[in-house]
Amino acid sequence: MLQTVSDTKPVSVRAGEREVHLVAYRFMLLARVLDDKFASLWRAGRIHGGVFLGRGQEALSAAIGVSLKKGDVFAPLIRDAAGRLAFGESVLDAARTYLGSALGPMRGRDGNVHRGKPREGYLPMISHLGAMISVVNGVLFARRMKGIGGMVGVASIGDGATSTGSFHEALNQAAIEKLPLVLVVADNHYAYSTPTSRQFACENLADKAIGYGVEVQSVDGTDLNACLKVVGGAVARARAGHGPQLVVATLLRLCGHGEHDDAGYVDPKLKASPVGRDCLKVAGEFLLRQKWADTASLKTMRDEIVREVEEAVAQAQREPAPDPFVEDWRAISTGHLNEGLEQG
Amino acid sequence: MSITYLEAIREAQAHALRDDPRVFIYGQDVGAFGGAFKATKNLAKEFPGRVLDSPISEDAMMGLAVGAAIEGMRPIIEMQFADFSTTGFNQIVNQAAALFWRTNVPCPITVRLPFGGTSGGGPFHSQCMETVYAHYPGLIVLTPATVEDAYSMLLEAVAIDDPVIFCEHKFLYYHLKAEKLPSEALPVGKARIARVGRDMTIVAYSAMVHEALEAAKELSPEGWEVEVVDLRSIKPLDTDTVMASVARTGRLLCVGEAWPWGGVTAEVIARVTSEGFGLLDVPPQRLNAKDTPVPYHPNLWTAHRPTAHAVAAAARKLLRL
Amino acid sequence: MPSIPIIMPQLGESIAEANIINFLVKPGDTVEAGQDLIEVETNKASMTVTSPCRGRIEKFTVQLNESYAVGAALGHIEATNEEAARLGLAICTPAKAGDAGHVSKPDANGGRNRVRPTVRGLPVPANAAGASYLSPRLKARMIELGLSAADLAGVAGSGAAGRVTVEDFEKFIAHLEKQKISQASSMRVAVADAMRRSWTRPLATVGLPVQLDALLAHRKASDPKPGPALYALRALAIALSENSAPAGRLVGSKIVHPSAIDVGVAVEAEDGVLVPVIRNADKKPLKELVPHYNKLIELARAQKLPAEATGGSIATVTNYGTFGLIWATPIPLPEQTLVLGMGAGRRMPHWDEAKDRFVPVMEGYLTLSFDHRVLDGGAAGRLLQRIVDLMSKPEKL
Repeated sequence: MLQTVSDTKPVSVRAGEREVHLVAYRFMLLARVLDDKFASLWRAGRIHGGVFLGRGQEALSAAIGVSLKKGDVFAPLIRDAAGRLAFGESVLDAARTYLGSALGPMRGRDGNVHRGKPREGYLPMISHLGAMISVVNGVLFARRMKGIGGMVGVASIGDGATSTGSFHEALNQAAIEKLPLVLVVADNHYAYSTPTSRQFACENLADKAIGYGVEVQSVDGTDLNACLKVVGGAVARARAGHGPQLVVATLLRLCGHGEHDDAGYVDPKLKASPVGRDCLKVAGEFLLRQKWADTASLKTMRDEIVREVEEAVAQAQREPAPDPFVEDWRAISTGHLNEGLEQG
Repeated sequence: MSITYLEAIREAQAHALRDDPRVFIYGQDVGAFGGAFKATKNLAKEFPGRVLDSPISEDAMMGLAVGAAIEGMRPIIEMQFADFSTTGFNQIVNQAAALFWRTNVPCPITVRLPFGGTSGGGPFHSQCMETVYAHYPGLIVLTPATVEDAYSMLLEAVAIDDPVIFCEHKFLYYHLKAEKLPSEALPVGKARIARVGRDMTIVAYSAMVHEALEAAKELSPEGWEVEVVDLRSIKPLDTDTVMASVARTGRLLCVGEAWPWGGVTAEVIARVTSEGFGLLDVPPQRLNAKDTPVPYHPNLWTAHRPTAHAVAAAARKLLRL
Repeated sequence: MPSIPIIMPQLGESIAEANIINFLVKPGDTVEAGQDLIEVETNKASMTVTSPCRGRIEKFTVQLNESYAVGAALGHIEATNEEAARLGLAICTPAKAGDAGHVSKPDANGGRNRVRPTVRGLPVPANAAGASYLSPRLKARMIELGLSAADLAGVAGSGAAGRVTVEDFEKFIAHLEKQKISQASSMRVAVADAMRRSWTRPLATVGLPVQLDALLAHRKASDPKPGPALYALRALAIALSENSAPAGRLVGSKIVHPSAIDVGVAVEAEDGVLVPVIRNADKKPLKELVPHYNKLIELARAQKLPAEATGGSIATVTNYGTFGLIWATPIPLPEQTLVLGMGAGRRMPHWDEAKDRFVPVMEGYLTLSFDHRVLDGGAAGRLLQRIVDLMSKPEKL
């Protein structure tokens, strides 16, 4: 969703290229600073469980977020810190989930990247890759049945998820039903440690589109400008009723699969090639070249963001953890149908 | 006028579609074809756009159902056979069952599973799946044994805001008939005394209720009056009714068509033994299918599952102890 | 030539192992089918393991004074093919050393010599078949009604092996409720409970006649008159002070010795029995005990015994002769090993060797009931004889 984080007034997507780039860049920087903060908290032993960062994928993710609007549906995945923020998630909620605050959207019942607000169109992922795509389909399907139109659903996945049966079934289903789904595949060359040569045999993931009967576009995931154009274009085409859109972005993950992983398996040649560029650096340089920002304003932006992240993280850490003794240990919403077994 | 178990299910769905615009049915061959068992015959015509054919994609079917439920709809997913729900298992147990607990957003879906054995069905058209689903928190599992319950419990399932696994017994589809549909019923979560007795309690569910009733008939001339409890819901399970029955009779035999390791029969016995130890005059027993996949040949199939005769034999062992 | 294993047999229900105590043959010996090969001892008895066939002892794979599980291979016999076939014997390759299912080492065979449960099918506990098995439901009902297993003695069980089912029980209770019922006094209930608990032990009784003439004369000449039971009490006390072992209590495998010779006397009180106690009855002569004894009897009859006057005795005396009985087998208190009973005296003909004719004497029986776990007939007899001897010299009591 197009809104600056420091104020809640939405900025129209037609505000012009400069505005869009600045807003997107800010979300990228915010995501990067927040991710770095989580990484350092993890190394300090302050985060329980895994930490999964999106370093290197901020451009693509932010592009998704700023291309969507209120009423759309977004199922982000592991590397979508930027997209989540751009879609309207608060830094505080992200921090709360990682730091286990009882006040976070998942209330400690799930953690790290498994967070969302389903009723606001922000779907919380489950760990099984590919599983969220059909859920997006379901929301779009239901809205259409209710007579609501003009919305788009984006599901974000990686190269690895394209091997799952869930991906196949869901993309097929969306195509049959001609749903306004945009499936964004971040091909970052590795699924954990598995290179794409062991993930699929076709030349290019984009080649799969014809098999499903859907439109496809490819994009350089390190280039914010390109991402905004391509992702924005795909969203527009889906919204206009052209059926599901596949977007395949090429980039490189600039961190481990999780912070517990040092990514020693990444081919150094890839790291050194253009696909290994840091999209944040590329976007920053682009802004400077376009004279849409200068070094000072970027520094000010960064300082503000650092303060914002520090404050949110500090607040989340002050908040209470869930208390197992007051926790409502019921998994069924209909009270009397809970069995109350083992409530001891 | 008589109505079959299958027709009752169709009636319930028609009723639900009529009364609630949020309801829709999604499954393989459910549209114009009316479903593999004709459970949705003519419904696509009567309710255009609300009874829809899905591709052979149980995973995507279930994911779509969850998405629709988030959006406020009340989808009914028809699995063609319970045995095929395993390809959608992940979405049922990790997406649907966990949604409310993780996000506080309820998931009002109903998954209809044609389950249980028929002669010649073989390993992949005969399975009882209630155990694996009951094990996961967040799911309600129902096993109607009568035409009346097939109707009223399906209506209630659709109305419940939580994911319901509705286990319809394929054998009962055409073999069980009733005179008419009920106007009122026991609620979900309550078991029914199918036969009042004195000397022993047999707890059963779905098709096994009928085997238990036959066994009771076999034992009556021998001077034994057996009480039969029809569980109706597996989860939640009506422990109180079972306990009260065992309090009257002192003897418990649990019968299930599912496999022996764990499951409904083990669960009932665990509860009665720990909460009602002092009610038992003899050790509680259970009778299940053999611990192998369900065989195809009728000779093997009839030996694989509990029959009225086997139930009576097991009962006798306990009655004579 | 086939090698036939010698297997530890199932030596009795619930036996799991036996100790090797003797080899009756040695390797190289030729043996016949059924010949004794090895002597073993279980915790119940000694038995022999016999040969499964005719053949030659190859070797034994077990050691003396070690325990082996039922089903373990103890050695091997070399037999002919015909012999093995004739008897349909299982053949096996000779076991390796240490392979014999030795119970003091963990079973390395992963179950080859495992003990199989002897109860199959419905899990009725092995020791539970029969009237002693009380189901949880039956126990719960009995607790509810304040009943014990002794109360079921009159109930015929219709369950497997004569088990009392809960239906038998409910019918019994219903039947009782149709009879005339009166409330048992708390005294009666207490005595019933004590007798039930006492009876859980194996009790036996020995008896001897005692000549009472001297005692009766002594009593007539005394003032105040000692009760007849006091003479027996003093005799018992003196005898126990000489050897207190018979009054010890068996708890598990230990004998608990008495610390003081406190002896009680049974007094019939309304609807029951009270037992006042003479403390250190071995220390004071009879004459000095009389007033205290008489007082205790009076208080007991009035059911006004103070707490310190009861309890803690190591043996009891009961004079059932006051009821006219000449012989009885009293039951010791549940916490005691001994009870000495006195029967009524009668004029009896007694053969007088010196006078070579029958002469009339006053004679009564003394019966000593005892917990047979603590002492046997011999010790009981000796104690009783000593008491008889002491009572024939009442002036020394």
